[in-house]
Formats: sequence, structure tokens, C-alpha cells
Amino acid sequence: MKTYLGVDVGSVTTKLALLNESDELVSHVYLLTQGKPIEAVQQGLREIRRQLPEDVDIGGVATTGSARYLAGVIVGADLVKNEITTHAVAALHYYPDVQTIIEIGGQDSKLTVVRDGIVIDFAMNTVCAAGTGSFLDHQALRLDMSIQELSQRALTSRTPVRIAGRCTVFAESDMVHKQQMGHSVEDILYGLCQALVRNYLGNVCLGKEIAAPIVFQGGVAFNQAIIRAFREEIDIEVIVPPHHEVMGAIGAALLVHEDMAASKTASQFRGFDQSEVKYHTSSFECKACPNHCEVAEISQDGHALARWGGRCDMWERVPTTQLQLSEESK
Amino acid sequence: MTTVGIPRALLYYQYYPMWKTFFEHLGVEVVVSAPTTRKTLAEGAARVVADTCLPVKVFTGHVISLVGNCDCIFIPVVRSLKRKSYNCSKFLGLPDMTRAVVREAPPILEIEIDINQGKGRLYRDIYRLGRHFSWNPLKVREAANVAWQAYLEYRELMCRHGLTPPQAIDNITSTTQAPESALDYTDLPQATIGLIGHAYLLYDEHINYQLIQRLQQYDVAVVTPEMLPGHVTEAAVNKLVGKAYWTYEEEVVGAGGHYLEGGVDGIIGIMAFGCGPDSLMMDMVHRQATRQKTTPFMCLTLEEHTSETGIITRLEAFMDMIYRRKQRGETVCV
Repeated sequence: MKTYLGVDVGSVTTKLALLNESDELVSHVYLLTQGKPIEAVQQGLREIRRQLPEDVDIGGVATTGSARYLAGVIVGADLVKNEITTHAVAALHYYPDVQTIIEIGGQDSKLTVVRDGIVIDFAMNTVCAAGTGSFLDHQALRLDMSIQELSQRALTSRTPVRIAGRCTVFAESDMVHKQQMGHSVEDILYGLCQALVRNYLGNVCLGKEIAAPIVFQGGVAFNQAIIRAFREEIDIEVIVPPHHEVMGAIGAALLVHEDMAASKTASQFRGFDQSEVKYHTSSFECKACPNHCEVAEISQDGHALARWGGRCDMWERVPTTQLQLSEESK
Repeated sequence: MTTVGIPRALLYYQYYPMWKTFFEHLGVEVVVSAPTTRKTLAEGAARVVADTCLPVKVFTGHVISLVGNCDCIFIPVVRSLKRKSYNCSKFLGLPDMTRAVVREAPPILEIEIDINQGKGRLYRDIYRLGRHFSWNPLKVREAANVAWQAYLEYRELMCRHGLTPPQAIDNITSTTQAPESALDYTDLPQATIGLIGHAYLLYDEHINYQLIQRLQQYDVAVVTPEMLPGHVTEAAVNKLVGKAYWTYEEEVVGAGGHYLEGGVDGIIGIMAFGCGPDSLMMDMVHRQATRQKTTPFMCLTLEEHTSETGIITRLEAFMDMIYRRKQRGETVCV
């Protein structure tokens, strides 16, 4: 069976999706990145392999998400694509008539505007991460409950309280204040979900036209209370795809399938055995010029596989032969 | 010989050839600070209050790097270039602010340019500036005229040959001939992107993460506000917002309004986080782009992030969108 693998390494979670020749989802994995993207990818590869029969052949592999370049080196990606494009491609695959794509992840929230099957505009949260998944996570942690529990309890709210959603710091002090006043936790939690939605609509969606059908993807779409808040706020039904949490990975797999079919080349996939290899990452400050770039390096058995982060291509050019020079400049 | 130091920041990109010619004509040597590095920014940011905008932090860093390399530092105050248009207060207080935060700096040469005060005042101020180096008013006048000519030639290089300010400055200071086409492309450009924003953001490769170079890697032809003649951007400002209020409004609203009339596949606006005038001007262009729905527009905000990931993701997605649009457009035409 020929398959296409998409790997989406985000700030909070890592997603892998495997599609077959007719672009059907064969298997998928969803796990926490926990600040260790390499281990997360390896773990993901291990789990995908466990779910598969022996005769699986990988026809192409693509990476996406904020650690897409790092993940690309580990798996030997044929394609490295940004998450905005992959999410749009996946949404269009399942819902060809979609007009608006809402995607809220760990540290990013995005809006993609689609008309006639083509992305015509997008927006992303600006400098701060208020109103994203980590905002909810942080509050769940503070109230000593799981994120699932937060979602369920918020749903039972009858008279939500108003929480300021512009900034996580203000939101937190608002929540503490309302707790001390004696409001129920459920009402405060739902107020928080409403604040997140208001912040998203007022910040990311500012000046954009939100038209139905709306597809809501990303990890935060697990949260039923957020979906309810969206429905109440914009008064349009929000569609949550069955595999909303792995849509980025699915989009990456779809794109690499398209690419490999066009180029007819063999995949550079480094094999499932990569999950057992020990990778070593390190970084150093390059002293070659006053820019003092922070260069990150990933190596295997003492051989540098790739380096990035420099302003110039001095370190990216010939990663393996410049080891001597690197010792001097470090 | 006296040496005048010019920080490679803020208005440098607009006027350097003019200033250089003026001072050299009066027998003064001119030194420019080196391009921005992480050190420049870190040193500048350490001296000013945290709320100060990124370009002023960079400017302060450049002043610090000039200390010890020159006898005085030239910091002009551009208050107004047209009747009833004004500049951001950070430009107006620049010499005083610099004296306050860079105490070790050599004496600061100032000139205030304010058209509202009339031309007589301007000539007198130019003479006052020149008097530091020559007692002869005629010689100062001549230097000013030559400098103006140099400025016009500089503008010409950018408008006619499509050079960016750094390329035009290179062209003037080196002896090589003007290249036929400005930006080098390995392949034929697949799309044209109009950049809007102030020159000190567009051409400082350190703070904008080599934006122009990155766009060229995506096979994009880049056009910038400096490549447009003054009357074109002025007309676009008038059309979009009526009379310009801000001194450098043409670079944002003018260029943006002009690009929106056609000729580019997308517009990218660059602004500094916390810039008051930009937040108003960028919004004008954004609204117009939303109204027209013909040209994609994206605004990137620069701050002291050391990670370039955010910028790269947005640029990649923007270019993907434009290429996919173009692809679709062409198939529809066929």
C-alpha cells in the first residue's frame, strides 16, 4: 500500500497523519510536544508504525507547524510547508465549498478566508498569544483541572460572567476577582471561553468578512464550550471536522501527494527506524560578525545534519564539512 | 579635518547623499555608522525607556557606535516638509533625546526643517548649519545647491532605474555605472509585491529579517515606495485620505494607494510595533484593500523578536496564497 505521511509539529502538540493513494486517512497520531519536538516526532513515528501492516510504503512525507524545519530533517521531508497553507488545503479537501477557516492552536490563532475554493486572505494573531490554546491551558492548570474538565464544566454555565480577554494577565486578575466575589466556577469558565472568542473575533478577524460555511479546526476545537461561544457570538453554525486536530498534518500529506505525483520521484523518507536514532541538538553563538546569530544544530553520531538560525548561509551551506571552522568560531 | 558622523538609521535612507554632498563641499569628512547588528540594537535599547519604538532604539545604537569615530554627529529635525503636515514627535525631539541618553556623544549638529515657517527661515537655518565649517555665506549656499542636485540625482536613480536606497547609495559612492535593472533575480520573477512602509524599516536588513532578500528567494519582484515618483504617491494620498497629515505619509498611504490601483500581485505593509502614525496610516490602506478585494494585503509588525519564525511563516503563506491565486486565474482564463 502506498501512503503519504504528514507531520505537524506545533508548539503544544505533534500530529501525524497517513493518507492512502486515494487520500483517505489511514491512521493518525496526536500527542503532546512537551517542548521536545524531536522526541515527539520519533514517538509519533513509532505509534504510526504500530498501527500499520508490514507492507506499507511511504510515497512522500511533508512537515508543517512551527518546528517544520527541524522535523523535516528528522523524517527526510520531501516538502516543508507552513501551517496556514496546509490547514487551508485540508479544509478544502473535506469541504470544497468552505468560505471561512478558523484555526486555534497552542500559540497561534488564524483565520483563512476562502472564496471559490481559493485562499484570498488570511490573518494571524499579532504579537501576543492571548486568546490561544495555551491561555486556556494555563487557566485550567491554575484551577487544578484538566482541559477536558474545563470544557465540560463551562458548558453547564447559565449566567456567564464577563472576563477581559485582551491580555492573559488581565483575564487572570479578572477571574480571580470574580472568584472572590462568589461567582460559580462554571460561569467564570464559560466567561473565559467567551472572552477568548471575542478576542479572536475582535483581533484576528478585524475587518474580515466571515461567511458560512465556517470550518473550525485545531486543538481548541475539542472544547465544546468554545464552539458554543462561537455559535452565540456570530450566530452561524460552525462545522468541526471529525479529525479537526490533525488537519494540518492531513493538509501536508495531501500537498506532498500532489507534489510527488507531479514530480514522479522517490521519497526521501528516512524510514521508521529514525524513531530509534539518537539525535543531538545544540546551539552556539556565531562570532564571525557582530550579528552574533544563534545558530542551532542537529547532529547524529557527531555528524551535523543541519544547522539554521543564521542571518547568512555560512552555517547552512555545508553542514558536514565545516566542523573544523565551527570549532574555531565557537 | 573635521569629521561629521551620520547614524545609519531613520532619515539616513532618504537623504544621505544630500547630507554627504553638503558636508563634503564644505571640506568636512563624513563617516556613517556600520549596518545594524544585534549589538547596535541591544546597546540602543538598553539606553532608552522600554516604550520607545524600535527604529529609535536602533538610531540610539547607531549614535553609540559613532562615539569616538567623529567630532560631531549630525541629527536633523524634520518637522514639516509641506504646509500643515507634521512629523512624529520622536523625530522632533531626536537631538535632545540623544543628548540625554548618550551623554558621551560628541557635540550634536542640528538643523530644523519646517516649511510652515517659510523659506527664509529655512535658508537661514541652512546657513547656520554651514557656518560651523565656513564663514563664507556664498560657499554655504553653493554647498546647499550642490547637495540639492545630489538629492535629485539620488531620487532619479531610484525612480528611473528602480534601485532601492542602499543600492542607489552604493551606486553613488562607488564609481561603477548604474546597473540596467535594479534587483538581481536568479529566475524570472513570478509575481510582483509592493512593499509599503518607512525606509528605515524596509532597508534595515537586521530589523526586518532580510525581508527583500527573502522575497527575492520566492522569485518575487519587489517594488518599494522610493521607486515611485513624488507626484504619483502624492496623488494617491489625495485620492485616499485627502490632504496628508503626516510628513512621511506618502511612503505608506501614497505607495499603498498607488499599488492598489494595479500593477502588483500583493502588498505587504511593514510597521514597527507601537508606532502611532503607522497604526493610523496602515489602517487606511488596509481598509481600502478590504473594500476593493482585488489585491491581497498583509501587514507585518516588527519588534525586538530575535526569532524570525513568525515573519517567515506569514511570508510563506502570503506567497503561497498569491501563487495559488495566479495559477487559478490563469487556468480560468484558458
